[in-house]
Amino acid sequence: MISLFAHAGGLLGRADLPIPEWLFGWAAAMVLVISFVALAVLWPEPRLERDRWRPLPGGRALASRPVEILCGAIGVALLVAVVYTGLEGTQSPAANFAPTFVFVIFWIGLVPASVLFGDVFRAFNPWRAIGRAVGWVAGRVARSGLPAPLTYPERLGHWPAAAGVFAFAVLELVRSGGDQPDTVAVATLVYSALTFIAMALYGVEAWSARGEAFSVYFNLFSRISVFETRDRVLGVRPALSGLAHLVAGPGTAALLAVMIGSVTFDGAGEAPIWTGISPDLSQFFRDLGLPPQPAFELTFLVGLSAAIALVYGFYRLGIIGARSVGGGFSAGRLACAFAPSLVPIALAYVMAHYFTYVLFRGQAIFFLVSDPLGDGSDLFGTATTQIDYGVIGSTATWYWQVAFVVAGHVAALTLAHDRALALYADAKLAVRSQYWMLAVMVGFTSLALWLLSQANS
Amino acid sequence: MYFAHAGHWLTSIAYFVPVVAFMVWLGVTQIKDRRDRRKG
Repeated sequence: MISLFAHAGGLLGRADLPIPEWLFGWAAAMVLVISFVALAVLWPEPRLERDRWRPLPGGRALASRPVEILCGAIGVALLVAVVYTGLEGTQSPAANFAPTFVFVIFWIGLVPASVLFGDVFRAFNPWRAIGRAVGWVAGRVARSGLPAPLTYPERLGHWPAAAGVFAFAVLELVRSGGDQPDTVAVATLVYSALTFIAMALYGVEAWSARGEAFSVYFNLFSRISVFETRDRVLGVRPALSGLAHLVAGPGTAALLAVMIGSVTFDGAGEAPIWTGISPDLSQFFRDLGLPPQPAFELTFLVGLSAAIALVYGFYRLGIIGARSVGGGFSAGRLACAFAPSLVPIALAYVMAHYFTYVLFRGQAIFFLVSDPLGDGSDLFGTATTQIDYGVIGSTATWYWQVAFVVAGHVAALTLAHDRALALYADAKLAVRSQYWMLAVMVGFTSLALWLLSQANS
Repeated sequence: MYFAHAGHWLTSIAYFVPVVAFMVWLGVTQIKDRRDRRKG
């Protein structure tokens, strides 16, 4: 469990608010209900399913192969930097480039970047760049040509990506010393090895599209963006329409449950319900014979898994309810159909929970790039830069967090409404099925704001 | 120990009142729909 990366909310004082925080939750729920009514009245036909992508002027140049190669090279350089600094630099997480880059700039910072600018990670993906480069060289060296990759099994779907994101969450939230630079470096090497094996088996593009955890993770968020690259041409499309075209399959809902559940657990770590239970659970595992540290880690693994199961279970409850209104769809079909609407909720959770973390801790990258090993060097003259904790106050933080939560859930509601209209022949049945998705959205909204209040207190 | 801070628990429960209220409304609506279908 990361100790260095304490919640930024803990760095701020208590917010000075005109009404209690829980009343914000009621107001947010009202906004969702009003949005639902507005959608039912003003959005009578599906709009997002239509393909309205169009190329941008200069889009071909921006998405050209030389630009892709340059971005890939930058990605590979950063990957090498993470491994090198993690193994050779100081083992103090705050003074080493690797942990801050991986957990703050990469894992959290790329989320808003993907939403704003599209699938930027695809261009900078070091594993994809190395895989394509190796494939290109091998293709020229092998006289009889390379063997065709295996067909990616449809039943595998997004399960490998879900497993990868879960493993990252375990490193971040469960493993003691998960933020240690050498741990980050070794984890990067292990993940790289597994990724290259999978790419060799199934092909670089197929694995990147369905199985590689970070590619799939950031691609999901990028589908909210108006920017999309097709056939090496950058273009624009209506916001959220990328999610309407997402083909959800095996593991998609599970992946989204891991994404939302891991943030839920991170936030619940501050709540009395967890701080009250976890010592007893840890003691239970120690009574079974486990040493203290494994017992502690197992406790947190149980907590993380429970949070993910809770999120998934609540979503399935909504699906069962939606199925009960009729239409002849199986629960599995509905779960896949509405899974894309969980992506804006995942975005809301990430942004609300971590945006101050990026604002504060992200500033550290300015001195870490100059002193990546923590050995006193000053490569770019920024080694003495300090973190400015005054960039945002606690009251403004709370308002931004509420805004992220509400905006994310309204977007989710819009997506689910549009999908229901496309799915059901009868518009009234579509709206009735969405009563249950509205309940799910209100539930996730309440949970998000409660978690934030626990973290901020 | 878990009930030592009742004020804290009550505040936490307040966050989830909208969800509970909505689920109750949904449940009542479902029961009414089923009754109407049986009658009809």
